[in-house]
Amino acid sequence: MAEFLQALAQGLLIGSTYGLLALGMGLVYGVSGVVNFSHGDFISLGMFLCLGLYSALALDPYVSLIITVPLMTVIGGLVYWYLLRPMVGHQFLMVVQLTLGLSLVLQNGILMVFGGQPARTPSVVESKLLILGDVVVRVPHVIAFVVSFAMAIGLYIMLRSTDFGRSIRAVHQNAHAAALMGVDVSRVQTLTFALGIGILAIAAALLLPGTPIQPAQGLRYTVITLIVVALGGMTNFVGIMLGGLIIGLSEAYGTIYLSDTLGMLLPYGIFVLIMLFRPQGLTWSSSR
Amino acid sequence: MLEVDHLVTGYGGVPVLHDVSLTLSAGEIVGLLGANNAGKTTLINSLSGMYAPMSGRIRFEGQDVTAMTPKQRVEIGIIQVPEGRLVFPEMSVRENLLLGGINARARAHRPRQMDHVLELFPRLQERLGQNAGTLSGGEQQMLAIGRALMAEAKLLMLDEPSLGLSPLFVQYIFGIIDRLHAEGLSILLIEQNLNLTLRHAQRCYVLERGKVAVEGASDVVKDDPRTRRAYLGL
Ligand SMILES: Nc1ncnc2c1ncn2[C@@H]1O[C@H](COP(=O)(O)OP(=O)(O)OP(=O)(O)O)[C@@H](O)[C@H]1O
Ligand SMILES: [Mg+2]
Repeated sequence: MAEFLQALAQGLLIGSTYGLLALGMGLVYGVSGVVNFSHGDFISLGMFLCLGLYSALALDPYVSLIITVPLMTVIGGLVYWYLLRPMVGHQFLMVVQLTLGLSLVLQNGILMVFGGQPARTPSVVESKLLILGDVVVRVPHVIAFVVSFAMAIGLYIMLRSTDFGRSIRAVHQNAHAAALMGVDVSRVQTLTFALGIGILAIAAALLLPGTPIQPAQGLRYTVITLIVVALGGMTNFVGIMLGGLIIGLSEAYGTIYLSDTLGMLLPYGIFVLIMLFRPQGLTWSSSR
Repeated sequence: MLEVDHLVTGYGGVPVLHDVSLTLSAGEIVGLLGANNAGKTTLINSLSGMYAPMSGRIRFEGQDVTAMTPKQRVEIGIIQVPEGRLVFPEMSVRENLLLGGINARARAHRPRQMDHVLELFPRLQERLGQNAGTLSGGEQQMLAIGRALMAEAKLLMLDEPSLGLSPLFVQYIFGIIDRLHAEGLSILLIEQNLNLTLRHAQRCYVLERGKVAVEGASDVVKDDPRTRRAYLGL
């Protein structure tokens, strides 16, 4: 029973961050139809930037956010404007290839700078624990949970009640009509992509404490994100967060009740099962 | 106010509009008639800046706008109510209206402009919190016009506002158009409905396969035999 609750807590905590990762991808897909296969490598980039800042300036990953968030947001904006924008709307496969190419560039760039051996980035809260009866949770996981949900709620409110948020939804629902009302569609797409990458910088720091990192890990995160987004329904806010929790839980239960490697496979198994029975995703209508 | 000079526009290098010229003075209501595929929507979208013309010029209030982006044209007051209304289905009526006023010029006056629109369309007032996708066709047309008014149009261009509406709603919408015209708005009215448009517009152009076939005061256009011919595609 203790084991069960332990896995439940861990799964929910990590799953919330998976949800956050997927919200970024869902937003980008919603406004520009781009499925970003370099998503996970941008998470890697965020993690390795934290590592670099730790090595150079002894910054805690949470403090490094002050630098990594603006930096990655700008990188995201530039990547969209110069690389993706010229292709978007014309050639879906070209866009996919571009993001795959970007994935390789990022991965090898990181490999070149940091080398291939697994590394860790220490944080002051890394080994702190929170004990609730039988359940022991790691403080970084609690932080990840709180911040991820706060970000998700913040994003939701932004989409509902700001002009920028409404223009994102308008471009998603009818880009032609949005342009006719004076919305600069390319600009909204670029800013949304930048926002998505900026969110990854935060998610990277949340996932970092206690996690060994290596340059080739990006694909794993990309796949997890794609699964969550597919589960949730590409542009459905609540569905995506729910999908994140499901994947987090299946990973946690898999690792505890099955072996380590099998546990890592469990989310994919669950994904295939859900897609067999609910190919439209977990929820019904889009909440945008 | 609006001058279109020898406009040629097309898709993928194939012209659809051949050498179209038209003018519209401030405060005027001008009809643009034409059968299916005549090029009416292509013309209105060119005026909105959705595609670059192959040649020709568009001037608005003395300013050359040919190279302006859609956003810049909205900001100087050229606003389109698109064919098929194209409201944002998963946004509430209120959000649709707010989005209509998102351009830099209109943004600050949204509360006042919203009052005006809701006074014009009391039906929208009752549906403010409802998603636009759940409105009837007529209500969506009201919303599409309201959204354009939120943008503080100087030139309001309507693409087939009567499309798919019941006769009663058509009458209502044209009553609104007349009222907006009486309030001083300049209006370009694109329609297939010949008699209706001839009744409400001061001057008309008849477009036939991308060319202006007939132009002039509405009663002159009405009696011109070429109008019916162009119209029936004979
Ligand atoms: N996006 C497009 N790409 C290629 N061709 C197009 C496009 N839009 C319209 N056309 C072509 O241009 C011609 C004029 O179309 P347009 O939509 O301007 O006509 P219309 O007068 O608005 O017709 P309707 O009364 O049916 O709305 C048609 O032959 C159409 O097939
Ligand atoms: Mg048309």
